[in-house]
Amino acid sequence: MVKQMREPRLHSMRASVLSDKKPLSNLLGLAMRLLWRDWTGGELRLLFFALVMAVTSVTGIALFTDRLEKALILESANMLAADRIVSGRGLLPEEVLEEGRVRGLRTAETLSFTSMAFSGSGNMLVAAKAVTDTYPLRGEVIVAEEAFIRGTPIQNGPPVGEVWLESRALSALGVEVGDSVFIGEAELRVGKIIIAEPDRSGGGMVDNAGPRLMLHMDDVEQTNVVQVGSRISYRYLFADDDQQKLNDFESWFRGQEQWLGKYYIRDVRDESEEVSEALNRAESFLLLGSLFAVLLAGIAIALAAKRYSERHYDYVAILKTFGCTSSQIATIYLAIQIVLAAIAIVVGSLLGYLVHQGILLLLESVLLISLPAAGFQPYVIGSLTAFICLLAFALPPLLALRETPPLRVLRKDISQQKISARIPYIFGILGAIFLVYWYSQNFYLTSVLVIVIVGIAGFLSIISYLFLRSSGSVGMKAGSAWKLAMTAARRRRTQNVLQVMVFSVTIMSLLILTLLRTDLIDDWQAQLPEDTPNHFMMNISQNQIEGIEAFFNENGVEGNAFYPLISARVNTVNGVIPQPEEDLESSSERGNLTENAGAEESQYEEIRASIDAQPSAAAGNLDAPDSEAAEEGRRVRGSLSRRQVTWADELPDDNRITAGSWWGEDIKPGYVSIEEDYADWLDLELGDSLEFEVNQQIISAEVSSFRSVRWDNMQPNFFIIFSPGTIDHLGSTFLSTALMEREQKILLNDLIQLFPTIVVIEIDALIEQVQTIIAQVTSAIELISVLVLLCGGLVLLSCVNATLDERFHENAILRTLGAGKKLILSSLLIEFAMIGFVAGLIATMGAEASLYYLQEEIFEQEFNFHYWVWLAGPLLGMLIIAGLGVNSTRQVVSISPLNVLRKVV
Amino acid sequence: MIRTEHLTKSVNTSEGVLTILKGINLSIDAGEAVAIVGASGSGKSTLLGLMAGLDGSSSGDVFLDGHSLASLDEEQRAVLRGQVVGFVFQSFQLLPSLTALENVMLPIELKGDAEANEKAKQLLERVGLAERGHHYPNQLSGGEQQRVAIARAFATQAKILFADEPTGNLDTATGSKIADLLFDLNREFTTTLVLVTHDERLAKRCGRSVKLVAGEIVSGETNEGTAVA
Repeated sequence: MVKQMREPRLHSMRASVLSDKKPLSNLLGLAMRLLWRDWTGGELRLLFFALVMAVTSVTGIALFTDRLEKALILESANMLAADRIVSGRGLLPEEVLEEGRVRGLRTAETLSFTSMAFSGSGNMLVAAKAVTDTYPLRGEVIVAEEAFIRGTPIQNGPPVGEVWLESRALSALGVEVGDSVFIGEAELRVGKIIIAEPDRSGGGMVDNAGPRLMLHMDDVEQTNVVQVGSRISYRYLFADDDQQKLNDFESWFRGQEQWLGKYYIRDVRDESEEVSEALNRAESFLLLGSLFAVLLAGIAIALAAKRYSERHYDYVAILKTFGCTSSQIATIYLAIQIVLAAIAIVVGSLLGYLVHQGILLLLESVLLISLPAAGFQPYVIGSLTAFICLLAFALPPLLALRETPPLRVLRKDISQQKISARIPYIFGILGAIFLVYWYSQNFYLTSVLVIVIVGIAGFLSIISYLFLRSSGSVGMKAGSAWKLAMTAARRRRTQNVLQVMVFSVTIMSLLILTLLRTDLIDDWQAQLPEDTPNHFMMNISQNQIEGIEAFFNENGVEGNAFYPLISARVNTVNGVIPQPEEDLESSSERGNLTENAGAEESQYEEIRASIDAQPSAAAGNLDAPDSEAAEEGRRVRGSLSRRQVTWADELPDDNRITAGSWWGEDIKPGYVSIEEDYADWLDLELGDSLEFEVNQQIISAEVSSFRSVRWDNMQPNFFIIFSPGTIDHLGSTFLSTALMEREQKILLNDLIQLFPTIVVIEIDALIEQVQTIIAQVTSAIELISVLVLLCGGLVLLSCVNATLDERFHENAILRTLGAGKKLILSSLLIEFAMIGFVAGLIATMGAEASLYYLQEEIFEQEFNFHYWVWLAGPLLGMLIIAGLGVNSTRQVVSISPLNVLRKVV
Repeated sequence: MIRTEHLTKSVNTSEGVLTILKGINLSIDAGEAVAIVGASGSGKSTLLGLMAGLDGSSSGDVFLDGHSLASLDEEQRAVLRGQVVGFVFQSFQLLPSLTALENVMLPIELKGDAEANEKAKQLLERVGLAERGHHYPNQLSGGEQQRVAIARAFATQAKILFADEPTGNLDTATGSKIADLLFDLNREFTTTLVLVTHDERLAKRCGRSVKLVAGEIVSGETNEGTAVA
């Protein structure tokens, strides 16, 4: 009877079994109810917060960096008064300007020359600049009606018939606004006083030789000063908001071979290496900061998802006993995750917006520039990050849930047997690598991070293997807290290795950012300290030194050492004519510029025909602004050109001896100290005998030391320094520097009147601009560091929380068996401290290794061991992890063991 | 309703293959209440798990409501479970993040029943917990939790109810009340009941007891004057 019944029913049932698909809407409804219940039950909060944190930090940082980057580029474009500049000696081809116009770029022209300006009561050498109506394309000219005040910005140059003068020119010429001055044959009315001009620092030597006189391009002709053969510097200025258009224009220009080596196109990065370096480093740092933020958020998501899915094993087992199939369970959890991510994206984007607004608010006082509006991209980046993090970090453990065998309802010890516990991590790691690469678009950076993290994983595996082998004994060893902790750590080996890994990577990220930040900022501060001299005086003769010193003392100006300056050339090395094959490496490019003042020599000869010989500058990277000279410098690099050399008793500041030794107490003539890159280039060794030609005389000297030189400090720097007594008798001029505040600048008039033969180069505008940009970049870096630190803190917290469940259970059992609170707490403390110590140590190693690569390759900084970190890293790791751990697990001992064992927590 | 044929379960352990169940042949008719008794480790929970389709056998087969479980995969077994089987566990197995009411609603919702809320409320009322529907499991006593679990087990009006030591975690007085409730509902819903226990008195209340020793049925006896009658 039963059998008869069975067969037909079996068929109908099987058919219904196979076709039984609960309606999708039904499943989704259930998923949403589960989501809501999990939310109200607090189960989802950690995961949700991790997601929100990911979106918030990534969006916030991306928004901020996006706007900051745009602003910094704009701000620095002000240094050029344009986005691109085409320049060269003599008249520029008209078709360049035409091409720019055809391409829809905004254009302007400038023309710089030096000339004498006359008035009824005086005359003075001025750096004249003629501009067209559209000048400046970027930035503003700051003008005033009175001398030496702050002034107001306007966006144009002088109209036809007017000249604008810098403050100190007015007093030298004895004129006021409204008076007339003559420039050449033209009589022009003084219209305004120039307080600042955007591309003041961006000019060549011609622009630094005296106070500025600005006039309209149309007035140039009637001056009759500018004639063929005159030392004039033409510039075409181009600007557009569309970066692509500019790039296309630049490629077009570079494609015109007939202009190669004659005319040059530049943007701000070519213009000022200080600024370009600061910008590049800041960009790299911001990128790295957001990378770490993504990585940390990913880890936090992974941890939270893991814990969430662990707490859902029972859930799934029960759902399965009630008849849920694996695919339905996957659908339910997928739906939960997608909805969760969507909400997190909305909340995170909003918070990200607020965070970046908050940053701006904080920065208001330091951020002197107004930021352009952010694009939509940061939100896309934030949202995509959330989804990728979810896919890579959260989905694998959640999907593993569907493999939960239903038998788990009967036997707790059965868990995820079908899916390897490692698969989720492989997904996570691949996801992380993808994110890093996608973000940075930088293969090198990605490789460094991957190698370091894989290195940490490998190292930890070895450690854990050794630890495993050393565990000869069994049992919990509940006798003392120390032994209890040791055995506990050993028992949770796999889990602890993972935890140490997470801690290590987190602490490492924080260490890298902190150290990098400190190094960068220190470096910048050392490069251009507040009291950086901002005026160079050259062509000083021996008998003027005392007078100049006295003048400065009287007027409260901070003067500096006087360097003798003489032009010299290396003839032979150990009797052989050196034939270096390669160009001098880029690291000393600036040094080359420094010394390549030879390219400027002729200019000065014309400017001041009366001045003594060798007027050229050995002034730091003074010449860096003048890229025409730079271009020329590159061309002559291969040959043994003349260098500006000096002699000195003391090693100049910012120079370091890298080999040999500086002349000691007992200074003897006949020695020379060489800059290290230059020495490399000439293949020199200590003790080599060099023969120089100095002022038509042959001088020999022995190489006694090699030096490193800070080329970016805007101070006098030299490739070759002789010991005193070697070339003193050959006649030289002197170079010195001074720090003059804005209000002291009028003293320059008196100085030049008293010592008419000296040449004063004003680089105060340049230094101020660079300092401003660096200050802005610094505050940006500080802020990003703080944001990432916060992310890191959250990760550490969720990682500690991730192991809470097991600890609860285990310690409840221990307490039931009679272990005291004190024993359990101290064992927890010891266990966490141990984990923290190991993590801190590994993090330090990882951080130093990464920093080595990052600094050498990406930040172009010198890497120095941070000795203190090797002590501080492990200690800090220990303190933080032990503190967080004990704080979080304090409940372990305060909740009644019965409650824990009944699983009500 | 349930029939096992040469049902065998072995597991691999570090000390070789361990056979937990050795060729069990057992037949349970619709409406019957059967107790499976035996010492710890005799294999009774394993047998329950196999009969309910929570696990696969090593050899032999189980016919559950006419379906050969050996020919179904886990997905199909899950669907079958959802249609014909209810469970009560020793450790209650309520979902901690759901309230009592939501726990009872869960299997009804899974079936796509729009009246889950109504039905669950009725069942909670039936087990005497109408007032506590919005409490979470950790706010309920063990006895109350098991009442919720029983309400949940009957929620889908399953044909077969599997109970694994339903009173094992409860004190004697509470356990006895829970047993009363279980048998009362079993009668009301005319469910087939399979109950695993080592409590002789509880077993006696079933129509039949099957005793397992070391994975084999040593006796199957009909209990006189059972509560079922």
